[in-house]
Amino acid sequence: MSPTHFERAAEATPPMLAKKIRGLSDRAIAWIFVAPTIFLLLAINIFPLIWTIRLSFTNFRVNRPNAEVQFVGLDNYRRILSDSDIWLTMQTTAHFLIWTILLQVLIGFSLAYLINKKFRGNDLWTTIIVFPMMLSPAVVGNFWTFLYQPQIGLFNYVVGFLTHTDPSSFSMIGDVNLAPWAIVIVDTWMWTPFVMLICLAGLRSIPGSIYEAAECDRASKWRQFWTITLPMVLPFLMLAVLFRGIENFKMFDLVVQLTGGGPGSITELTSINLKREAFEKWRTGYSSAYAVILFVTVFGLASIYVKALNKVKER
Amino acid sequence: MLIRGYSIVAEVILKNITKKFGDDAALDDVNMIIPNGSFVVLLGPTGAGKTTTLRMVSGLDKPDTGDVLIGGQSMAGLAPAQRNVAMVFQQYSLYPHLTVRENLAFPLKSPLLKTPEAEIERKIKEVSEVLQISHKLDNKATALSGGEMQRVSIGRALVRNPTIFLMDEPLSSLDAKLRADLRIELKRIQAKSGATLLYVTHDQIEAMTMATHVGVLEHGKLVQFGTPREIYENPVSIYSASRLGQPRINLLPATVFGGAPHRAAQIGLRPEQIVQGEGEESFVKRVEHLGDQTRLHLSFKNHNLITVTDAHTKLAEGDIVKIRPEKPFYFDHAGIRVA
Repeated sequence: MSPTHFERAAEATPPMLAKKIRGLSDRAIAWIFVAPTIFLLLAINIFPLIWTIRLSFTNFRVNRPNAEVQFVGLDNYRRILSDSDIWLTMQTTAHFLIWTILLQVLIGFSLAYLINKKFRGNDLWTTIIVFPMMLSPAVVGNFWTFLYQPQIGLFNYVVGFLTHTDPSSFSMIGDVNLAPWAIVIVDTWMWTPFVMLICLAGLRSIPGSIYEAAECDRASKWRQFWTITLPMVLPFLMLAVLFRGIENFKMFDLVVQLTGGGPGSITELTSINLKREAFEKWRTGYSSAYAVILFVTVFGLASIYVKALNKVKER
Repeated sequence: MLIRGYSIVAEVILKNITKKFGDDAALDDVNMIIPNGSFVVLLGPTGAGKTTTLRMVSGLDKPDTGDVLIGGQSMAGLAPAQRNVAMVFQQYSLYPHLTVRENLAFPLKSPLLKTPEAEIERKIKEVSEVLQISHKLDNKATALSGGEMQRVSIGRALVRNPTIFLMDEPLSSLDAKLRADLRIELKRIQAKSGATLLYVTHDQIEAMTMATHVGVLEHGKLVQFGTPREIYENPVSIYSASRLGQPRINLLPATVFGGAPHRAAQIGLRPEQIVQGEGEESFVKRVEHLGDQTRLHLSFKNHNLITVTDAHTKLAEGDIVKIRPEKPFYFDHAGIRVA
């Protein structure tokens, strides 16, 4: 009987290739390559997460390491969820999230739409517009405190000039009603370019010939926008919203520099509030429970959102 | 019937059209009359200006000078939508986020047409049956093969009643069988409905079988315009003569046969212009049996010739065949026909 294909292939394979490298199986070599990453992941992500969950059921305080640690069950969770102050910071965060995303999407998409029109110097404009994104959030927070300064601040001067009011008659950071808007404005100023860049990538991915086909198919510019441009940019836009949403849910540095959570606690976002509980009041067990709640919230919302995003992409 | 009879008079006239891209003249003073109900095929190699001509008529590009007239009216400054032209793009240009059905319905949903829903449904059904894409109607446009995309792209034009259909190599990425089917189908649709078509192709079989008129473009110039038969039997130049005919026209120095007119530099011989069995001797280099015909590769006074002979020929490599030119074409040094 003549040899099968497999037998002939086996015969043709040089013995060196068939042999294991220095006595290690392929699987063992694969594990060696993956092990450092797995170790790092366990050490700096998974272990702290599990440890935090463990701490969240105790009354442990990190500034009293010698005190006896008591297991308190779901007590921490009950206290957090029934604390009206914490619900207030949640509200503040929601307000901040909704308005920053709304403004950044509207302005970012509009800018991208304009920049995408071919005109002289649009590359230069892109660079200029993208500039705020390249700065450090702490720096941005710091210099906007100057812009918001009632006596010498440029922002107050311009608003005063446009509305014929006295620039020093209002303080964006000091006023309880204005402070929530002050942080929305700065975050929008800083991160709209990011949304714009992603939208621009989406717009540039649409081949020009599709618009030519639509021209020949007698679609108006308006219909082209609604039936071609928007649906084709939508997945990009949703991705930008996801990034901005997650980023702003954990917003800390910019707002701390700008308002420090004040006046009072009117701009105290959850992450600032959490930091106070954990590292000013040193309620470690309590703040661990707080962190777990926030984590579950972000994770849950993001998962639902990503599902929706995938559905849009499949469409 | 797919497309209803046409009431629109859609004679399309290109008047002194010149278009430059940088220093290159894509079109150089092109004049052409596309009669109502005709099937005009533009022939020429890549870069001859075929696609540019389509884009001029569609209004996607504007000529530098000259004018396009449709039904006697100047189209200067009018957008494609206002011209009511349907275009099939070489790169398909389907709407990728829409299904095949939505792609086909797209032009019908133009507010300029206000097609009733039932009418849209009926047209999509008809067109998709003709193009054999009925089973793909609910697929997304991106989930199709190249050939299927091209058929959807043709379908998107056929659902409409435009003044003129503009088609840029619409059959180029189909397999041979489908291409032959659609060639017949397109011709049938056009002949039956009286639609006007301007059609770009590389394929001379498409030109010969479908065209009522052929326009030969060379470096942006329209060098010849006429029926396929005219162009085949009465070419104005070597370039024109080389566009049609399989195997290609043979070109030899005019002096090899004698009897050449004054000024002639080259003699052009199509297979049927070579009489076998008389005249001077040539040497058979190769015999290709293609089934329905047999091609003879001949060597005549050190010049190569390809001609056609009887399918069941007894000739073999190394044999001697006598040949004589019969009403050949003569061309001058610039390649212009002199006799």
